[in-house]
Amino acid sequence: MAEKKGVGHAYNIDFLNVVFAASSLFLFLSVVWMVWDDFDREWKNTQRTFAELQYQVTEAQYQQASRAIDRNKLQQLQGQLQTAQRTITTNRQKVDELQANLDDASVRLDRVTQQSQFAKATYDQDRYEFEAARVAGAAGAERMGQRIAEQVRQLNDLNLQVEKVTAERAGIQRELDQYVGQAAAIQKQIDDVGAEAGRIQKQLDVLAPSALKDYFRNAPLLDFMAPTLKIQQVILPNVVDDVNFIRVPKIDRCRTCHLAIDSKDPVYEKYPQPFKPHPNLSVYLGADSPHPIDRIGCTVCHEGMGQSVSFRDAAHMPATEQQKEEWEAQYGWEEPHLWDYPMLPTKMTEASCVKCHKQQVYVPNAANLSLAYATFERAGCYACHKTRRFDTDIRRPGPILTKIDAKLSQDWVKTWIRNPRAVKQTTWMPRFWYNSNNSSPEDAVRNEVEINAIVAYLFANSERFEPTVRNPPRGDAKVGEQIVKSVGCQGCHVVGEGERTAVGPRRTFGQPLQNIGNKTTYAWLYDWVRDPKHYSPDTYMPDLRLTDAQVADVATYLSTLKGPAGDAAKATPDQKDVDGILIDYLYRGGLPFEDATASAAKMSAEEKQVEVGRRAILRYGCFSCHEIKGYDKAQSIGTDLTEEGSKLVTRLDFAFISDIPHTSKIAWFRAKLHDPRIFDKGRVLPPLDKLRMPDFNFSDEEVERLVMAIMSFQREVQPAAALLAQSARYDDRQAGRTLVHRRNCVGCHVIEDVGGDFLKLVADPSLGPPSLTPEGARVKPDWLYAFLREPITIRPWLDVRMPTFGLDDAELNGVINYFGSISNTIGPFQTHEIVRVANSEATGRRLFETFQCQKCHVLGAIPRDQETANLAPDLRMASDRLNPEWIVEWLKNPLVILPGTRMPGFWPADLYPKSPYPEFGGSADAQMRAIRDYLLTFRGGPSPRRSAGGSAAAAN
Amino acid sequence: MGFVKGIFNAAADPRLFFLLAVISLAILVWKREQVASNSFGYGVLGCLAIFFAFGSFDANFRLIVTKPDNVPIVGLIFMLVFFVWYSLREGVLNDRRIVKGEGPIEKAESDRVWVWPDLVYIELIALIVCSVVLIVWSIVLKAPLEQPANPANTPNPSKAPWYFLGLQEMLVYFDPWLAGVVLPTLIVVGLICIPYIDTNPKGNGYYTFTERKAEITIFLFGFAVLWASLIVLGTFLRGPNWNFFGPFEFWDVHKLEALTNVNLSEYIWVRALGRGLPQAWYVRELFGILLVLFYVGALPALLGKSLFKGYYEKMGAARYYVGVFLFLMMMSLPIKMLCRWLFNLKYVVAIGEFFFNI
Repeated sequence: MAEKKGVGHAYNIDFLNVVFAASSLFLFLSVVWMVWDDFDREWKNTQRTFAELQYQVTEAQYQQASRAIDRNKLQQLQGQLQTAQRTITTNRQKVDELQANLDDASVRLDRVTQQSQFAKATYDQDRYEFEAARVAGAAGAERMGQRIAEQVRQLNDLNLQVEKVTAERAGIQRELDQYVGQAAAIQKQIDDVGAEAGRIQKQLDVLAPSALKDYFRNAPLLDFMAPTLKIQQVILPNVVDDVNFIRVPKIDRCRTCHLAIDSKDPVYEKYPQPFKPHPNLSVYLGADSPHPIDRIGCTVCHEGMGQSVSFRDAAHMPATEQQKEEWEAQYGWEEPHLWDYPMLPTKMTEASCVKCHKQQVYVPNAANLSLAYATFERAGCYACHKTRRFDTDIRRPGPILTKIDAKLSQDWVKTWIRNPRAVKQTTWMPRFWYNSNNSSPEDAVRNEVEINAIVAYLFANSERFEPTVRNPPRGDAKVGEQIVKSVGCQGCHVVGEGERTAVGPRRTFGQPLQNIGNKTTYAWLYDWVRDPKHYSPDTYMPDLRLTDAQVADVATYLSTLKGPAGDAAKATPDQKDVDGILIDYLYRGGLPFEDATASAAKMSAEEKQVEVGRRAILRYGCFSCHEIKGYDKAQSIGTDLTEEGSKLVTRLDFAFISDIPHTSKIAWFRAKLHDPRIFDKGRVLPPLDKLRMPDFNFSDEEVERLVMAIMSFQREVQPAAALLAQSARYDDRQAGRTLVHRRNCVGCHVIEDVGGDFLKLVADPSLGPPSLTPEGARVKPDWLYAFLREPITIRPWLDVRMPTFGLDDAELNGVINYFGSISNTIGPFQTHEIVRVANSEATGRRLFETFQCQKCHVLGAIPRDQETANLAPDLRMASDRLNPEWIVEWLKNPLVILPGTRMPGFWPADLYPKSPYPEFGGSADAQMRAIRDYLLTFRGGPSPRRSAGGSAAAAN
Repeated sequence: MGFVKGIFNAAADPRLFFLLAVISLAILVWKREQVASNSFGYGVLGCLAIFFAFGSFDANFRLIVTKPDNVPIVGLIFMLVFFVWYSLREGVLNDRRIVKGEGPIEKAESDRVWVWPDLVYIELIALIVCSVVLIVWSIVLKAPLEQPANPANTPNPSKAPWYFLGLQEMLVYFDPWLAGVVLPTLIVVGLICIPYIDTNPKGNGYYTFTERKAEITIFLFGFAVLWASLIVLGTFLRGPNWNFFGPFEFWDVHKLEALTNVNLSEYIWVRALGRGLPQAWYVRELFGILLVLFYVGALPALLGKSLFKGYYEKMGAARYYVGVFLFLMMMSLPIKMLCRWLFNLKYVVAIGEFFFNI
């Protein structure tokens, strides 16, 4: 093998030298590589880019500031400076002498001050020793005491000297100022002219690139001392990460790259990402916002791995396909699979609100989340999927089926459940049959058997129902249409064709009215419109207080609404098919096969139908949404969604679906919602093992909303310190907010900036239902109570009207407390102090006439020659209805309280508290109070209290 | 292409994989004269390289092979093949010299070398090269921080460190106390015992095969087949739920394998004797216990009088019994594997009453 070189040499040493040299070189290179690899971090480059940008921007600012300097003034001042300096030159000798004296005094002051400090320190030490010795009764204590006294004397002497020399120096300085003071003052003026530029100049000096900063302090291996590039982190003791065995304070390092995320300086808005500030600093991250960055951080809302400082490992999530491709190219992005909770898509961030706002269903300022929950409620997800916060105070999403015989025909129901959207395009009723896992021709027979059987069960278990009016009179469809389109039915019901996504969940709160003429009988329609609670005692459908003639008109109109006939049956099953399916149900239900066959044989054909129907309803969970006789004890059939958003992706079964990333929960939810049976694809399954979630035909937009709702259902991890403080007022808010959403008040009214969908249907917002955000401050609680029980007409020129909801006292008080709480009023019992200044009412009257209030406001009679949109409520109601304090607030600035109102502000905000009018010495407040006092003298307006407990006749 | 991948997938089935490993070992030993040629050695390495190059075009293969944890095992495959072949080649070359009466080549060289500079120098170079490899390895193969450990969500598959994957593979066939405690202990103890059992001075300081046929074959069987190839199998071919996956197969968590295994007691009482299982465990497991006692207690003596008579005489009773016991213990793994594959045998002795299974 190897060449021998004398005895004992196994290797060629010269060759080994070469190998040694080469391997040493490689070692050196690999060590250099290692150091570089450790040094070279993505975030450092980001910070460098930011520093460069900062420098460029500041330089531009500097140049702008330099240009803004007033040259003429500068020149003038410089001229003055020269003159002043000439004064100094002429007195050079004197000035020099004074300067020398000043220096001398300064030196002496320094010296004496130092002596005094030393003496003080020695004295303090000795004093302590003396005190300790005296307490211990030591022998030398007395002598020490004498020494202390001596030290005190010396110290006092020194302090006196300090004062003397200080005074002496001040004297010299004053004398010197006679000669040089003028020059100094002018110099200061010159500095002031360029102050802005100077300030920026200083910033620029800090930002300017320098060898020390950029190379030395940030150099590899030296950057542990005082680097300028460093990781920026917030540690959040009140917000935690759950690492399974323990909960640890969150550490968010997002600011390492998002360097200006909490900066209010508008200059950063023009910066590229990641340097842009948070788009909503008044609510998030700002120091004075409810969610300051040093207490809330970033990842508790956005998710992702806060401790990571690499783009990929922080688990950023792209919003669009295009962004995904960009990121892949730019940052080597890949689907996050090393972190259980990757960042939420930006649109879904509000899903995280609930982590801390967990006691409430609807979170203020979270419009997307409210819409998501409205969709979740409208689709009735909670009926099958038990979900915390959606299990109490919530209706069944579907209408009752216990009296179905009086309302529908069997054939219609079959067509309907076969494919509801073929009958009513906008309906939320999902499709159970003919979905992706049961559409084959073999499935059709089974589908039809189940459809027939369910209908048979429903009609066999229908109660008798007697309409209040038999043979109701017909009305005028045209008038009826007018009523439906104007009184406010459309706040909850869609009449025409329309995409569910476009009209939104609030306007589909009630069943769509499409095709209703084909659906049911005229008699039933008449009875329902007249009094919905007669047919369905628990319905949320309110009473619109229509006269019987109007009811007939509406019912006639509704019966003319006809549409497509729906899908026809795709198979005609025979008795054998029914038997087979019944035995299948019985057998899979736990009966031995022989027994199943035997008990099936004992049944009549009709009984078989009903039994299959009963079991099919149980399997598909129809009873979850609809009240059906015989299912009082049935359990909800869906997965509990309470903590679905925290579910680990490994707990989700992707089956044979391989075109979505198996690392993404959101992708799974999207696929599931788009096609609930998709994960059966490619599998061999007996019919009763197939997935059974029905298909809602959700649009992309609806899927996004629902995914957001699901992602908000999180395991409760955050500690009490992270949550909002509890109080009775807080409870009022959460209960009331839930009620106004669940009763669909927000379908017509804007409340806390949410809802008011009905307003889109009226020409002008002032012709629609009012915003209720300030309602608690505006009206008296007792008036509101009476009004909600028996609404009165406040603006007679409007067609849309407030219905009677029939709320119980608990709900009424809840709503009133809620409005009080969001307006921050005290409570139902309040003292309204009306300061009656002499002539207050008379002056008020004069102002009232000056401002021509009566031009728009009703005062008994509706003003003529006025555009309808300009009309305003009867002022005679003021004393009964309005909070006196609120009247003043309202007069002061109507546009702040109700943006978009037509009420003019008579007192310009820039003059306040002065007023352009002479009354009361031009005091705006006094004038407003006077008008209020005058308003409160009016009597005789309509009042809900007069009719409270009486008949509903006064309603119109 | 799919067909070729299908063949590889099928060949990687643990049964066939093991069989192929045994056959390769047999061919290696039997046709060693041909195997020893350079063209064969480099040919095999070349084929392996081509296989990996071919495989890297397949997404599933690439995913598994390039996983940072698995990359060293790819190196292990090449090094294992090379060193087994190289030692065999050197042995065969020496054997030829011995036949010619020249003695092994190592003996022809001086048996003394200088510590300085030769030995110290090459040790230093080895140290430097190892450092370079480790540094480059740590830079190139990333080990990112993963999500927090979750007791409710263990990784699937849960794999031991690569050097224990042979043991983990044994868990498929043996109860944990055997596969995890007894057999590993015996492996360590057995390796320590080798110098005391095998006192034959032949082959000391030089390569040879013919002079140590049995010893080398047994060692290669234990090390290359039972240990190293099971590591390769555990790394590349065991996926979610410890199910087997071919090298080009997608690791689907839903994959199912028919695993209906039967204990020896059921074979005997239910199938052979046609009656129910006895209540008392000692009656039920009687045959299994007897079989185990026979295998451990009586078989060494029987073998000593028949097949291994020569060894018994050469080694003496003490060495022979210890050696043959260790050998039988090693062979228990392939025997159990065969029984599992051929008869779906679950346990020879299955005493669920106190969790004692063999």
